[in-house]
Amino acid sequence: MNALAAVLSRRLPEGQVVEGFRAEQWAVCDRVPQAVVFPESESEVAEVMRLATQEGWTVVPAGKGTWLHGGQPPGAVDVVLSTMRMDRITLYEPGDLTVTAEGGIGLDLLARRCGEHGQWLPLDPPGPRKGTLAATVSTASSGPLAYHHGSPKDHVLGVSLVTGDGRVLELGGRVVKNVAGFDVLKLTIGSWGTLGVLTSITTRLHPQPPADRTVLFRGEAAELVALARAIATAPAPLAALEMLLPGERERSGGPVSLLAVRILEAPEATDEICRIVTDTAGASAFRQMDGRASADLFRNVEALESGAELVVRLSLLPSQLEALRQYACTLRDLADPDEGWGTRLAAHVQNGILRVIMSRMARGEGWIDRAAEVIERVRGGLEAEGGSLTLSRGPCELVSAVGAWGDVGPAAPLMKTLKREFDPAGVLSPGRLGFL
Amino acid sequence: MSAALTSEVTADLQAIVGEQWVITDPVRLLAYESDGLTAYRRPPGAVVLPADTDDVSQVMACLAHAEVPVVPRGAGTGLSGGALAGPDAVIVATPRMNRIVHVDPENRLALLQPGVINADLTVAARPHGLYYAPDPSSQSACTIGGNVAENAGGPHCLKYGVTSRYVTGLTVVLYDGEVLRLGGLGRDSAGYDLTGVFIGSEGCFGIATEIEVRLLPIPQATRTLLAMFDQLEDAGEAVSAIVARGLLPAALEIIDRETIQAVEASIFAAGYPVDVEAALVIEFDGIEAGLDFEAEEAERCCWEKGAREVRRARSEEERLALWQGRKKAFGAFGRVAPDLLVQDATVPRTRLPEVLRAITEIGHRYGLRLANVFHAGDGNLHPNILFDRSDADELARVEQASREIMAVCVEAGGTITGEHGVGLDKRGYMRMVHSRDVLEVMRATKKAFDPWGGMNPGKVLP
Ligand SMILES: Cc1cc2nc3c(=O)[nH]c(=O)nc-3n(C[C@H](O)[C@H](O)[C@H](O)COP(=O)(O)OP(=O)(O)OC[C@H]3O[C@@H](n4cnc5c(N)ncnc54)[C@H](O)[C@@H]3O)c2cc1C
Repeated sequence: MNALAAVLSRRLPEGQVVEGFRAEQWAVCDRVPQAVVFPESESEVAEVMRLATQEGWTVVPAGKGTWLHGGQPPGAVDVVLSTMRMDRITLYEPGDLTVTAEGGIGLDLLARRCGEHGQWLPLDPPGPRKGTLAATVSTASSGPLAYHHGSPKDHVLGVSLVTGDGRVLELGGRVVKNVAGFDVLKLTIGSWGTLGVLTSITTRLHPQPPADRTVLFRGEAAELVALARAIATAPAPLAALEMLLPGERERSGGPVSLLAVRILEAPEATDEICRIVTDTAGASAFRQMDGRASADLFRNVEALESGAELVVRLSLLPSQLEALRQYACTLRDLADPDEGWGTRLAAHVQNGILRVIMSRMARGEGWIDRAAEVIERVRGGLEAEGGSLTLSRGPCELVSAVGAWGDVGPAAPLMKTLKREFDPAGVLSPGRLGFL
Repeated sequence: MSAALTSEVTADLQAIVGEQWVITDPVRLLAYESDGLTAYRRPPGAVVLPADTDDVSQVMACLAHAEVPVVPRGAGTGLSGGALAGPDAVIVATPRMNRIVHVDPENRLALLQPGVINADLTVAARPHGLYYAPDPSSQSACTIGGNVAENAGGPHCLKYGVTSRYVTGLTVVLYDGEVLRLGGLGRDSAGYDLTGVFIGSEGCFGIATEIEVRLLPIPQATRTLLAMFDQLEDAGEAVSAIVARGLLPAALEIIDRETIQAVEASIFAAGYPVDVEAALVIEFDGIEAGLDFEAEEAERCCWEKGAREVRRARSEEERLALWQGRKKAFGAFGRVAPDLLVQDATVPRTRLPEVLRAITEIGHRYGLRLANVFHAGDGNLHPNILFDRSDADELARVEQASREIMAVCVEAGGTITGEHGVGLDKRGYMRMVHSRDVLEVMRATKKAFDPWGGMNPGKVLP
């Protein structure tokens, strides 16, 4: 056993520390940790963090390890701290429409428990559903439902956070309205494990929608863009509006380009919204899916990124959807024409976000430099128009080269000051956000 | 910070914004001596009225240089004393910054200066079939800048959420005059959510000088009900029953007997029966089809919980009449008692009945007049104490009772303020809900934005 793992094993109960080859599957962007720890309580998490600060070990918080390669590769990874054994629901009063659970609870388990009471948490981030709540909140991940139902910052009411030096902070609370002091909680949402380990989360819940319907339109990409924009401004509550363009090799005879309009309202209202949507579209829907079929379609949207080598998120104002598509086409050149399914595009139309999901990147002499050059050019163009480009996933060398996010700008010193407050020794996920 | 609001500083301010936009006349300063919480009165050293971000930046740089503290102010409707300044501080007020820069119906966005009145935004958006969802009861007076600073809520936040849900980007000016642009729709901002943490910072981090907000399509239709109960708790139970049935009304508001009587005795009389213990306003909105069903379900919940009467609005006039009692409650208190202490605790919804019972008991025990008007669906209570400040004994009982009410709410898993903010008024309660470490982190967060300590000093933190 290596020295670091040995120290940890002495401090934690039996079976909570893993090292050697078993730590390999927990590599963060190719960096294999010296130990992976699986604490079962908040005080154990605090113990690990105190130790890390004392010893100067770098710690990357994790959930089930389904997206360790997201974000910028951290500079060093001594310890991966997984919250996956902290997966209990600690307080659930359905009448309050809120639930408190340990950070390591899977979104699937949470959904099952809340579903028993006819409630749900409307979050559909990309990735497998077993992904943990803490990781979802920490990366502020969301999906097609975000525009209408909100993203993690709108759902989360309170958290317990263990800071870099092992302080336990209870931020926010368990009530749906709370302005008691500065909203420090918001800093932790989307902080990518650089401020602390989320050990407990209270989130708001919603009544499960009484009906689930998706209306599908199909057509050529440019037509669909126009249709999508028209429907986005229709006077009706749409739960999601997702444009899906399949990969090149999925096309021939197979899947076509689709616009999926999801409606989650009462049955009578659903019919009426359908009518508004088709009137606005001036075209008839190619298919309508209800209940399970509708839900499954969007489950597939959640899974779109699985197996992809490169995922790039492009963003502009929603009205600039066609411009986004043009930028996306530029990126298509990075794909390997002979392998995998090619490049899928998926847009959250109402939010102005388009994901470019690439099965395999083209290799060859200097491919990283070439890809970096193309991505930087696209990022420059988008930023000049007030937009952004984020690498959600990609080969580590590439992500390191171009950065997962764009430049933070003049707020960087302020953010660094905040980071020091939560993590004085700088042991938490150093470099994960690029500039810190 | 050694404050020095000298005549040179005043002259510099005049040079920046124009002479007529710097107020130093003691009589005119009286207009700024308090906000909506009139218990505290303290005129500022001066008031500056800038026109745009650039003005604000120069004004702040000037004041920072002279080490004079700054207190931002919108309409001054705040209910926690947040916009109060002492004689050695300067109020930077936003009434001139009241331009709606643009309404962008394609993207359902609006860009505003902070002094825009909340209700004016909805008026500007209406021709596009859009509106701005957060609707504090003070919406015809309060500013969007003040809403951002307080993370304001309102009756319809039950379904639609509070201000933070709708603010997508901010331009803020820090004490030293630095201008920061935060967030913005159409971009994944790198790093920490500074927009999010700025919202609700009560003027202690900086001044918001431009605000980007999301607009929503105007709902096709609404259904409004008013249910009368002979027990306040029953109204609370009806709220729980409606939520338990999986219904999501746009609003669920309760007003109690004391409040109804105040309203009915005032020029705002709304025709509520004065002998009921509570009235519950229920509103649904959305697509016309299906609304009747929801309204009927809610009505059934009310009958099940012992409602004496349920009225349903048949027209827009009737709807406004049903809302009248709720909307005019605060206005009506004025004629009932000289002073009003507005509380703002939030509790988990299921704890409402027992907390209401406890509050009533506390009121009785201290011999105080309590009037409850509140956002029941959110568990956001406003137990208001009607009293007379000149009666020292009563004042002491008010303070004692307030503290006990807070303790009951916190004990039930709630918090000390749901939408009005801490300001000057609730600092003393902060330790009831936050540990030392958390308060320390809040202090450090303020310091990251305002290392000089010049922004709205003495507010929020105990
Ligand atoms: C009758 C009545 C009913 C009310 N109902 C509600 C309600 O339903 N929901 C609710 O949430 N509130 C309610 N309020 C409280 C109040 O209206 C809100 O807090 C409102 O958001 C304050 O806006 P304002 O423009 O009046 O701000 P002000 O009172 O002027 O200022 C409030 C705080 O914001 C800061 N501030 C103001 N502008 C800026 C800026 N541009 N940048 C930075 N800081 C700034 C000030 O320093 C101060 O700390 C009510 C008040 C009254 C009198």
